[in-house]
Amino acid sequence: MYIAVALALVVTMGLALIRALLGPTVYDRVLAVNMMGTKTVLLLSVITFAIGRPDFLDLALAYALINFIGVLAVLEFFRKRSELDPENNTKEAE
Amino acid sequence: MNLIFGIFLLTLMLITGIAVVRTKNLFVATTLMGIFSLLLAANFFLLDAADVALTEAAVGAGISTVLFLSALSLTAEQEKPCFGGRLLALSVVVITTLALLHATLDSPQLGDINAPVHQHVAPWYIDKTPQVIDVPNIVTAVLASFRGYDTLGEVFVVFTAGIGVMFLLSHYPRKKPHKPHEGLRHYLIQRLVGRTVIPFILLFGFYVQFHGDFGPGGGFQAGALVAAAIILFALLEGTDQAIHIIPSWFLNGMVAGGALLYSAVGVAGMLMGGNFLDYSVLASDPVAGQHLGILLIELGVGITVTGVLLSIFLAFASRKHF
Repeated sequence: MYIAVALALVVTMGLALIRALLGPTVYDRVLAVNMMGTKTVLLLSVITFAIGRPDFLDLALAYALINFIGVLAVLEFFRKRSELDPENNTKEAE
Repeated sequence: MNLIFGIFLLTLMLITGIAVVRTKNLFVATTLMGIFSLLLAANFFLLDAADVALTEAAVGAGISTVLFLSALSLTAEQEKPCFGGRLLALSVVVITTLALLHATLDSPQLGDINAPVHQHVAPWYIDKTPQVIDVPNIVTAVLASFRGYDTLGEVFVVFTAGIGVMFLLSHYPRKKPHKPHEGLRHYLIQRLVGRTVIPFILLFGFYVQFHGDFGPGGGFQAGALVAAAIILFALLEGTDQAIHIIPSWFLNGMVAGGALLYSAVGVAGMLMGGNFLDYSVLASDPVAGQHLGILLIELGVGITVTGVLLSIFLAFASRKHF
């Protein structure tokens, strides 16, 4: 049961990775990273129960709390960049 | 089963790693590095190395992305084209890879019970930890007590790295106040969510700090988590506000104070008749002394790591664009 869930999550991670690699826009990549983070939290939680050590849930908790910071840093990065260079802020990274 | 998951995650890591090297856009490389770190942590976890995975989670998920992006905001987004030297680089990489692959042929299989480490090193720690130190997490016992010297060295490495970055990047506060950095103060959703999350990250950080004897975690992880909480605050409210709350003299004190606390525990052991970093003499009962020593040195580690990570972040963030 756990293994089926874990497999599904790993496949989803693979798909998210493909989106992160292909892009093409910044938003695709940011969303892919965010999704990857969520899936990692879930994967770690599933594995803790699969191997019977729920005390390791701490790790999933750490990710759940911290993932948000990376997204905010991206937002701040583009805000700063658009302040410096107003025309360039919608330019899509290839 | 773990093996299949491990191989799959390693393959994804390999693909991500190659993509990071191939891409010319540094922002894309940064986001891919975030994915790389997530995959790495999941891999560590599959190998049952929860403490290492927690470190990777605490540093890789939040702080390294933030640091990469703040470095990136000081430079151009595209990698400079590089000509020549490629054959040399390729040959060095190929030779190193072949040498490493050759070395893995001699190393024991994963989980082989006849591996040297399972013959005398690990059994000794498993045997001695309940008697001498009596903490459930043997990793903490090894890291903080049996191998306290190595960890002291690591703390000083972190300390030195922090000093190095401060030498390169730190600035004198300007006399005339420039336009204050406002952060994401005007983004309502982010601000509300962030302000709600910060106390929980801090609480979790302290839990990891003081629960390190019993579960995964310890000073390094806790330091990174606490630093992440304050970095989140700085992102939301602006770095000026963060510097106002944690002034640089206090940060410098943290950077040096944690390392000093660690060394002081070692010297205290000497003064009380033991060896350097021998905690057994710190209390009348040797096991209680070990517990006290581990608590104090983990606190020292946590303080230094928090201080160094925050100093590096603020050094980057308070610099203007070139």
